Amino acid sequence: MSVKYVPVQWGRFKVIYDVIAITMIMGFLWIFVNVTPGILNHDPAINPQIRNMRAFGSCAFFLLTAILMIGPLARLDDRFLPLLYNRRHLGVLTGFVALSHASFVVRWYFVFSPTDRYEALLGTNTAYDQILGFPFEAFGIFALLCLLVLATTSHDFWLKFLTPRIWKDLHYLIYPAYAAVIAHIGLGALQSTENPTFGVIVFLCASLVIILHLAAARKEHRTADAGVSSEEYASWRKLFRADTVKEGFARVARLSNGERIAVFRHGNRLSAIANACAHQNGPLGEGRIADCIVTCPWHGFQYDVTTGQSPAPFTEKIATYNLRLRDGYVEVDESPNPYGTVVTPLAIPTPSMS
Amino acid sequence: MNLVILFVQVWGGIGAVVALVFLIFGISRIDEDARGALSFRPLLIPGILIIWPLVIWRWWQLTGTTTTSVTRSAPRESHAIVAVVLAVIVSATLFTTEAIRQEWPSHLAPIRLDQAQ
Repeated sequence: MSVKYVPVQWGRFKVIYDVIAITMIMGFLWIFVNVTPGILNHDPAINPQIRNMRAFGSCAFFLLTAILMIGPLARLDDRFLPLLYNRRHLGVLTGFVALSHASFVVRWYFVFSPTDRYEALLGTNTAYDQILGFPFEAFGIFALLCLLVLATTSHDFWLKFLTPRIWKDLHYLIYPAYAAVIAHIGLGALQSTENPTFGVIVFLCASLVIILHLAAARKEHRTADAGVSSEEYASWRKLFRADTVKEGFARVARLSNGERIAVFRHGNRLSAIANACAHQNGPLGEGRIADCIVTCPWHGFQYDVTTGQSPAPFTEKIATYNLRLRDGYVEVDESPNPYGTVVTPLAIPTPSMS
Repeated sequence: MNLVILFVQVWGGIGAVVALVFLIFGISRIDEDARGALSFRPLLIPGILIIWPLVIWRWWQLTGTTTTSVTRSAPRESHAIVAVVLAVIVSATLFTTEAIRQEWPSHLAPIRLDQAQ
């Protein structure tokens, strides 16, 4: 099952998502520039160029905040998962908005400099040895560079080329980028404005991001702890009650080695496969199942959950896992079967039987 | 500061050469999904300009082979540590920037210096 790369992989839902995202961005910029100058009460007064610069800068900050909220929200509540699947498009848009902000800065504050504008940007303030008056532009440049790395490596090609491990590590740059943006705003805009509104909004956004991430990490930690190795066989791990898996869906569990598996329910039977798609590590556990076939939500690759194999004529295979039932709880053998191994589904008692 | 700009220019220049060679000759040999797919390649140029050393390293690693997907769960083991570090740094930054904030005497009317003399 080979899928040729295309510039942008748009499905119906992704098109709708992108249209909404772009509309909201343009709406925000229009409102900021045309409707709210009086409400924002910029103090000291600013000119249209600075207003444009602030509009794009604020927009980039809110977009970055939203992106950082999507991950933990999806882990805390499955209903946010559709946002997670489209987060990369939002990241690219954020890169463009941040670049526009930087462009306005360079083309206004440094355009009248007798030296090269970029030299002026880097050399105007060099007070790196003090906090008050620290060249906050440096934080902005660092954050912009991080966002550009993320945006320019968002295509599916990069995930496969760099390997998921390196790609994911690279995209952890979003965290230092956010910290740098906070420093950029705190040492820049918040130092000069008399109006406390934006400062309060920044504080609330940052607090929300922090709280959500800590809550998601806590939930992840507790979920991981929920699985415990059975005493009889070290390789068996207790997961969750069998009746907590919804028909047609999966519950994702984490093994002691950090790998994730997806336990699917089809009828009154359970089957477990690796959670990562063989194509580009898409989250199979978040896909729906029909006639024992799960469809990866990322690119539509399909697997029979009882064999770990793609339907003929395709040849992709993933690992399957053995399950057993103990006192109503599902247990999994942590040792994966060879890719494509047929496993008899685990029958679970129906409510009338139990 | 001239050195910083020169560094960026040299970095980008090398990146452009790497992008040209990689996208024309290299990519099809190491990724079967890229064979015959041309329209997406220009989108890779900005990324190669920025992380070309990483591109060369992976290209060298994959030469003579074809990329095969490695099934693996997304690595989120370090998320908890990142979340805590982010919380500490962002909180400290906001506290510090608020603490050093200075108020200017906005209640005083401005005076032209040439008239004051």
